[in-house]
Amino acid sequence: MTGNAPILEVKNLVKNFATYCAVDDISFSVGEGEILGFLGPNGAGKSTTINCLLGVVEKDNGQIKMFGLDVAKHRVSVMQNVNYCSAEYVLPWNLTLYENLLVYAKLYEVKKAKQRVLEVLEELEMTDMRNTIIRSLSLGQRARANFCKALINRPKLLLLDEPMASMDPDVVDRGINLIKKIQKEEKMTILYTSHNMWEIEQVADNVVFINHGKIIAQGSPLELTRQELALEAKEPNLREVFIQLSRKKLSRDSGGDKDVSR
Amino acid sequence: MSRDRIYAMLLRHYFLTTHHLERFADLLIFPIVGLVMWGFLANYIQVQSSSLAAFFLGGMILWVIFERVGTSIGIDFMYELWEKNLVNILASPITTVELIFSLVLVSVTKVLISFAAMVVLAILFYGFNIFSLGFMLILFWINLILFAVSLGVFSIGLITRWGHSAGPLTWVLPFMIQPFAAVFYPVRVLPQFFQKLVWFLPISHVFEGMRYTFETKMFNSGEFFISLGLNVIYFSMAVAFFTYMLRGSRRKGTLAKL
Repeated sequence: MTGNAPILEVKNLVKNFATYCAVDDISFSVGEGEILGFLGPNGAGKSTTINCLLGVVEKDNGQIKMFGLDVAKHRVSVMQNVNYCSAEYVLPWNLTLYENLLVYAKLYEVKKAKQRVLEVLEELEMTDMRNTIIRSLSLGQRARANFCKALINRPKLLLLDEPMASMDPDVVDRGINLIKKIQKEEKMTILYTSHNMWEIEQVADNVVFINHGKIIAQGSPLELTRQELALEAKEPNLREVFIQLSRKKLSRDSGGDKDVSR
Repeated sequence: MSRDRIYAMLLRHYFLTTHHLERFADLLIFPIVGLVMWGFLANYIQVQSSSLAAFFLGGMILWVIFERVGTSIGIDFMYELWEKNLVNILASPITTVELIFSLVLVSVTKVLISFAAMVVLAILFYGFNIFSLGFMLILFWINLILFAVSLGVFSIGLITRWGHSAGPLTWVLPFMIQPFAAVFYPVRVLPQFFQKLVWFLPISHVFEGMRYTFETKMFNSGEFFISLGLNVIYFSMAVAFFTYMLRGSRRKGTLAKL
């Protein structure tokens, strides 16, 4: 969506489950160094899309390319440059932070793994917690531990699936600053899903809005605000955009939108 | 296959073992307590037949190997579910072959530790040296481990598809095989129907072959090759089953929710 070469390209992605279509022919791309907010209400198909990107869920149709390579054909080499973080999955509870990171460093074939683990711990200000067992960490610290794991292989593409769900505002604020810092330093490409619109406004260059498995709007946060709320808007207001778009019902026959909101 | 990724999984289970006391029980305490009990029984039987007593003790040690390898693969896999870590692992560059290979390696390593402890204690306390049965028997033990691995891979296939609810099968499957494995008695004591059925179990050929060697001091190559042939078939089927179940779970989207 930026002028940069696409790091992630999704074309006509389809995923059906037994009784419903979770992802319905969506296409989008994320340019190098871009942060794309991937938004939608619960059950919209965001996590299914991310799981398809990771290969945890098998797509029914479409193509996923990362770094110009078809993921289905080059999974191992592609995944070495990708990582992800989700509040839904924690690191193994009974291992220390250092042990967990060392395991993942090896799993991603990181060179000088021990040194890299110490670097990541330093970057995320967690050095003093290196020997703490994950279950003894607070919720916010666990989120940071997840970030440590997500950054262990210096990914070129980072998939963040509601990484700060149920965190307090202080933790979220720190997390956002951290993502901005890392993205700036490493020129990382990030796909970011969240239900906290403030988070997205803070970090996202562009936003894709998905509902019922279909992309129903995309653009920069300000463009979307102008498009959905008011042409003269000076600041993005994704919260209102989210509510507006979530209440739109897709017209199945025309492919257009029928507004059934408020 | 990547050495680093396999090493990562070994490291993961090494750390897990150092933090979980119950895994030490699995590794040493259960096998040793079993050995003590069967050792006393063997002592009691020895009054009537020393060879039967030796086979009892040897059979028990080898059964523990089989059971530990078979269940350990399933339990180690279950830890990834219990700790909600499976998606983290499967989203990494690890391949299906590497995942299976590392689980097998972890369980074989653990069983070698259990085996070493049991061998030493059997020598010290009961004067029984399992190697006195003949080093050729090691070939049978390889067959024993191969069958256990097939069973373990089959059980993780079930877990991949049905999640936690299939977990208990990890313990149940070896237990269900035991009556037909000819561990403590020869196949001929089984009813006719079961005698035909157990021909298809590699483990029964292992114990029958060992029994033959023990009685005649000759290596039973027939039982060995039947067992090996069956193992090749079962192992291939188990890997295919796991791969099929993993793919099915990815298709249905259940893998992400395990």
